[in-house]
Amino acid sequence: MSQHHDDHHEHGHIQLEYQPALPIPNAKLCLWLFLSTEIMFFAGLIGAYIVLRFGAPTWPTPHDVHLSEPIGAFNTFVLICSSLSVVLSLEAAKANKTGLAKAWMCLTFVLGLSFLGVKAYEYKEKFAHGIYPAQPHGLLYDKPDVYYASALKVALEDEAKKYPVDSEDPVAKERREVLELLRNGLVQWNTRQATQATNPVEAQALIDSIAYTIQHPHEDHAELTRLQAEKTTLATQLDELSKAETPDPQELSLLKTRIATIDLLTADDAAILHHGVNHSYDWLDLPFVIPSGNMWASTYFLLTGFHALHVIVGLIVFAIALPATLGVGKANFIEAAGLYWHFVDLVWIFLFPILYLF
Amino acid sequence: MSPTEHAEPHHEADHAHDHEHGGTGKYWAVFLALCVLTGCSFLTYFEMWHNAIPVSVSRAFMMAVSCSKALLVMAFFMHLIWEANWKWVLTVPAAMMSLFLVCMLIPDIGYRTYHYSSERWNHTPQPIEPETHSAEGASAVPQPGH
Repeated sequence: MSQHHDDHHEHGHIQLEYQPALPIPNAKLCLWLFLSTEIMFFAGLIGAYIVLRFGAPTWPTPHDVHLSEPIGAFNTFVLICSSLSVVLSLEAAKANKTGLAKAWMCLTFVLGLSFLGVKAYEYKEKFAHGIYPAQPHGLLYDKPDVYYASALKVALEDEAKKYPVDSEDPVAKERREVLELLRNGLVQWNTRQATQATNPVEAQALIDSIAYTIQHPHEDHAELTRLQAEKTTLATQLDELSKAETPDPQELSLLKTRIATIDLLTADDAAILHHGVNHSYDWLDLPFVIPSGNMWASTYFLLTGFHALHVIVGLIVFAIALPATLGVGKANFIEAAGLYWHFVDLVWIFLFPILYLF
Repeated sequence: MSPTEHAEPHHEADHAHDHEHGGTGKYWAVFLALCVLTGCSFLTYFEMWHNAIPVSVSRAFMMAVSCSKALLVMAFFMHLIWEANWKWVLTVPAAMMSLFLVCMLIPDIGYRTYHYSSERWNHTPQPIEPETHSAEGASAVPQPGH
């Protein structure tokens, strides 16, 4: 046991005092211990993101994955405001201005809710574009390869089942035709050509062309030139084949389908090719490729998800505090809750630039 | 930590330092500084910035801004600037462990592509750009297997 001399003159005598712990309230000490473990928890997550990202051969830009930087900046501003309001609530409580303390606390609660609302909107945007943290909902593929081509073919076949062959509805008929052209004239044709190609780079380019046609973040004018050149070559082949004595009907049909597909993609100033199939047809959600997109989705949802969970916990604590009279007696509670909330703000201060601006 | 601080009963000590830094003006000043710093890091969003500043400089700038914001929040909003020396006991080991944690991830995760085989590179995502359809484009990233 250690004893210390107290030199407070107002007591008028030497006071021996046992000091069992740090000179702060137990709640504050425990909260700081908890926060030190939280620092390591988020350092692990953020560190994992950084090494995964900078070790990856490629990484999607915010535009590729529908991240909006102004929305992220707005959320940062919201959290900074909430940090200010909670510290002002603490100061008001210490001065025993209970009404003012409650008003600041209410504002903190509303700002926290706003942050969550904006985050929910951002999540909804990702889900609407087929970006999920995991299968089976996700339409996202990391690489255009045989697995992607196979998934695309299955998705086109499943979609086609919605429009019966004998349907008289002109919309259903038109959609079915588009689906068949995409399946036979794009996916089947390109994969068949890729398997026959002797050069692996050329084979990869054919599969890349499928992914590009479905969805792409940046326009590539070379693709249109390539398709126009291909169409000229195929038209010549079709002409020669038709003039043959015994033309192969299957080969003829394949060539006609491919030409019809190129016509579809390049019609109206190549509108479908430039915008991508997924964006041109709002009734169609086909699997698409974002290189390293799945790794991005996993890390983004993990980091922001854990952060959002911390925000929810903070809001629960504020909700518990709100009905009480926030005077001097509650100052320690508000301080502890505020420390936790500032930590949540601190984490977002690092998440915002590395997720939205890097 | 001074003997006086040890001798103080918990709540008295706490309230004693609370009143040493009364007034809310400094919190508003910190809030303004945080808003300005957020605005600074948001500058990197604009095309003009991208054209003028290299990416690595831009990232270093953003991290410097984030660290400044974090220090402001910790020092003023979390009151660490007014706390006694116990603050180092709780924050320094955690900060060091965090750094070690990240450093330990670098060899296995950060440098993972350094040890990829040719076969592994075939299954690695590459940007879908016309230039990368050629073998030259793919070699933009170090590929020891090739």
